[in-house]
Amino acid sequence: MTRPLLSVRDLVVEFSTERGLVRAIDGVSFDLLPGETLGLVGESGCGKTVTALAVLGLVPSPPGRIVSGSIRLEGRELTTLSEAEYRHIRGREISMIFQEPMTALNPVLSIATQMTDVLMRHQGMSRRQARDRAVEMLALVGIPSPEKRIDDYPHQMSGGMRQRVMIAMALSCNPKLLLADEPTTALDVTTQAQVLDEMVRLQERFGTSVVLVTHDLGVVAETCHRAVVMYAGRVVEEAPVECLFDQPRHPYTEGLLRSIPRIREEKLPELPTIPGSVPDLLHLPPGCPFADRCPRADDLCHRREPKLELRCDIAVACHHPNRYAGCPE
Amino acid sequence: MTGDAPLLQVQGLSKHFPVRGGFFRRITGWLKAVDEVSFEVRRGETFGLVGESGCGKSTLGRAILRLHEPTAGRVILDGTDITALDRGRLTAARRHMQIIFQDPYASLSPRRTVLQTLLEPMEIHRIGTPRSRREKVLELLDIVGMGPQVLHRYPHEFSGGQRQRIGIARALTLDPKFIVADEAVSALDVSVQSQVLNLIGRLQRELGISFLFISHDLAVVQHISHQVGVMYLGRLVEIAPAADLYRDPMHPYTRALLSAIPVPDPKRRRKRILLQGEVPSPLDPPSGCPFRTRCPEAMPICTERRPLLKQIHDGEAPHRVACHLY
Repeated sequence: MTRPLLSVRDLVVEFSTERGLVRAIDGVSFDLLPGETLGLVGESGCGKTVTALAVLGLVPSPPGRIVSGSIRLEGRELTTLSEAEYRHIRGREISMIFQEPMTALNPVLSIATQMTDVLMRHQGMSRRQARDRAVEMLALVGIPSPEKRIDDYPHQMSGGMRQRVMIAMALSCNPKLLLADEPTTALDVTTQAQVLDEMVRLQERFGTSVVLVTHDLGVVAETCHRAVVMYAGRVVEEAPVECLFDQPRHPYTEGLLRSIPRIREEKLPELPTIPGSVPDLLHLPPGCPFADRCPRADDLCHRREPKLELRCDIAVACHHPNRYAGCPE
Repeated sequence: MTGDAPLLQVQGLSKHFPVRGGFFRRITGWLKAVDEVSFEVRRGETFGLVGESGCGKSTLGRAILRLHEPTAGRVILDGTDITALDRGRLTAARRHMQIIFQDPYASLSPRRTVLQTLLEPMEIHRIGTPRSRREKVLELLDIVGMGPQVLHRYPHEFSGGQRQRIGIARALTLDPKFIVADEAVSALDVSVQSQVLNLIGRLQRELGISFLFISHDLAVVQHISHQVGVMYLGRLVEIAPAADLYRDPMHPYTRALLSAIPVPDPKRRRKRILLQGEVPSPLDPPSGCPFRTRCPEAMPICTERRPLLKQIHDGEAPHRVACHLY
């Protein structure tokens, strides 16, 4: 068994709000193997972004707080690091890409300044070396005439270009782990296709491990090796993407896959839906958090919360999961 | 429905915005956000309008309702030339055409309860008695799947999906014939998105309302639309019945758009048509065909002449495309 690069165990993060203490994630566990792309999927409020922020050591505190659990990068515990120690790891060992590059790029500094600063600080390069490396990275992410565009300011670039700059910047220090939070959600489909292609190509070339946070199951199917499906702050299913899309085991995953609008040869009269809406994290019912919307829920589901159980590379938290045909039970 | 006049006819509609600059803020150019667009929406049908950001689809939707004053062209709704109405008559005509926005949170007043929000249009247009208005509100809530217990609640107390239902109920208060839905489900999570799409489909069938459904999401548009128009840099480049467009896309841009959608099936990683470069600035569109700078099939003629919409298949619902390949 390969040793995981990143290992998250029983992570619990709480936020204090005006309405009370909210447990944004409750007992999240997953592993990321070296060179692997793992999708963290779910709908808004499921805790996928908070999970990514926790790994980055960026949970805003207050109001947020990591209550318990562990996050290990190559065996090293991250949750106990000081802010100074974390800053040393971010950018060098862990990099990130956010949905809106404009909020992550400094509008008053040129791309050249921002990229060379990172390289000079984390890689100890000279300004000259850093600039050469930055130009090389911009070329790699498909920016035309990078030696000229590098002196542009962020506002002179389109959304797609800016997101490429973010990818170039994130990968320039050759990090072990890249966290990408909805990196293509703000982009148009044709630009999204270009940016995803660049990301996959570079990930393969540098062997970076990637955690991709997204609500888009299509993006997961096209870029990830494995996926973790989250609901109400919990992991409800984790599986290799082929299994997940072919034979979803959790009724929520199944419902989610069915309700994605997709291009079909025959138009359906009505789209399949999941009835109801996501529960309020402040008033979670006892038992399984999905029980109120689940066609299979019975007495047990309303009484006891199912644990995440692993069998044949697939983990599912459900009292009545679909049978997995690929695995004799 | 053959022979019936279409509910909405859009003829040569343009919306050009002046671009100002220089010392006296003089007009230095024109941004042709919508440029000579023509199409029809038939009674009880949905016309899906797709395109990427900045293509002019939202401006087109607003120009049809005269929320943006059109620069040229005509909009005829059920025999009435909307573009020729004076202010007073336009206000009266507005009750027949409504709009639903992407973010209902931005379009619902945070200080009004659901009841106040839904009563307001009827009060402005002086329709019914206080009693009948209240009955209408309850009926509308029932149609969008909400109960009377929400009447005295405020927008912030609802989830995104519920707020969109309230936005839809408000659009229905005056029994409109035509509704523009501008990215109406784009901000919603998939499980809720499909609920709202089904609601719109049902309204259409049961109330016979015609929709202009504007979206960047081709899969959503396929599900909801009878006819689909594809927009690029302010112009319609292809119009076809939904089934034809998705089965047999003809314009190279439509093909690229369709191939770029991520497919939720890891076994079917499709061959993508990757477009070169980016959408050119609408301030300085390319000569000839607006798509030629990114088109994998561009020919010399594409630089010289702008292709016009040409009818490819005859029949009740023609397939039209603006491309020199045909």
